[in-house]
Amino acid sequence: MRLGSDNNKAGQRFDLNQYLDGLYGYAMVLSRNSAEAEDLVQETCLRALRGMDGLRDEDGAKSWVFTILRNIWLNQLRQGRAAPEMVELDSDGKGANEPADAAQDPHADYVTKIEREQVWLAIQKLPVEYREIIILREYEDLSYQEIAAVLGCPLGTVMSRLARARSRLRDALQNIFSAEVSFQRAGKLRSKEEGTLNEPL
Amino acid sequence: MNPCDEYVVKTLRYLDNDLKGQELEDFRSHMESCAHCRAHLEAENALSETLHRFRPLYSAPDALRDRVSATVVQQSSRNTTRGSLYDRVSRILSVSGALERLLSWRILVPVALAIGLCVALVPNIVHHVQAASYVETAVAMHRKFISGDLPSGLQSNSPQAVTTWFAGKVPFDFRLPVESSAGSNPAYKMTGATLVSYKGSPAALVTYEAPKDKVSLLVVSSQSALVAGGDEVTGGRMTFHYRTESDFRVVTWTSDGLSYALVSSASGPPQASCLVCHQNMADRRDFKAEQ
Repeated sequence: MRLGSDNNKAGQRFDLNQYLDGLYGYAMVLSRNSAEAEDLVQETCLRALRGMDGLRDEDGAKSWVFTILRNIWLNQLRQGRAAPEMVELDSDGKGANEPADAAQDPHADYVTKIEREQVWLAIQKLPVEYREIIILREYEDLSYQEIAAVLGCPLGTVMSRLARARSRLRDALQNIFSAEVSFQRAGKLRSKEEGTLNEPL
Repeated sequence: MNPCDEYVVKTLRYLDNDLKGQELEDFRSHMESCAHCRAHLEAENALSETLHRFRPLYSAPDALRDRVSATVVQQSSRNTTRGSLYDRVSRILSVSGALERLLSWRILVPVALAIGLCVALVPNIVHHVQAASYVETAVAMHRKFISGDLPSGLQSNSPQAVTTWFAGKVPFDFRLPVESSAGSNPAYKMTGATLVSYKGSPAALVTYEAPKDKVSLLVVSSQSALVAGGDEVTGGRMTFHYRTESDFRVVTWTSDGLSYALVSSASGPPQASCLVCHQNMADRRDFKAEQ
């Protein structure tokens, strides 16, 4: 699904399809409603399609489409058109992705599914400003600068808000990976004793 | 303030390989000596690994992909139709030409004269009224800017950030007139952007500052703001309209479907506002401010 007019170089390379999963995920964490999320993504694509002739820098395309989506959502909120927030907490993991390569071990598969749902639930229970910054940074890999542009706030605010969001999420997920932390702590302490705290963990 | 507080954000930057040089050395040194921050680092790392393990969190449903594909096809065909619409109009006009030959020139000449007068005069009047309204709005916004009464918006000196910020906020495809950030020591620095209202629709206002002057740029769709009047100066393919309005110097022009109104202090040098765009361009000497 390649968009853009023939005489637009940025548009020729601008493949909107690569952003659909990310846009839908962002729309879901904003609206927490799949029908509204789909409408948001479609409207975003339409506006991106109409406005892409002005897109000079392909590198900024991703943050640009995410900004469009967020602005549409904010406008709908202001106009009272957004549907009331209804968290779709279905137990079969419909909200979150199923892994493409599910583990062969049924028990491992089950544990992974449970953990995935818990992560998804923990994110959905965060306030919206924390949900969106988690998805933009941890799932969409936007840089701090790009997130600042999408959210329209200073870089320092992005970093401090992300730190607070992660803190809240970490508390919520404590039960899931407390075992991992204990395991890793043992490993890292051993590294520390060897004086090898040189690379990111 | 807890001395470890500053390491909360630095921990995230460390995990993103964003710490360099002395900052990285300081961070490592602190981690060696502070068990609390070390535990925090481990917890943050574990969280990142957990989150990344379940990526992507969502995938777009097939129904949505189909909807978007349909939108793309629809939009593409609409673009294609623009060309064929021209052909159809041309065909209709050629039919009209045949009808004209059937009518007497005694009827056609007076009607054509009347239509010509309307086309020549009425739109011109409307044009100037609309242009005046646009200039008045630009000056009113500039007053708010210099008095600090503008609504809060984005504070940034980055043209890219400003362009991105306006995406979806204004009902047109916002573009700055030229890239004006290339200079290492520009005379006029972009300070930010804010949303304002023009004829009931959102419009873009970009602000600039120099040591002794402030300049604002009101950007709207040229469909809602026609540019006319004042002293006309042609530069390249564009025509600029200069005028002094309520003690402010105003330059207006249109480009690629957008209308621009640049407002600066009238007490400043006559071409000062031109430097906002031309300060980093080869022709900047033509606009050098008078001393």
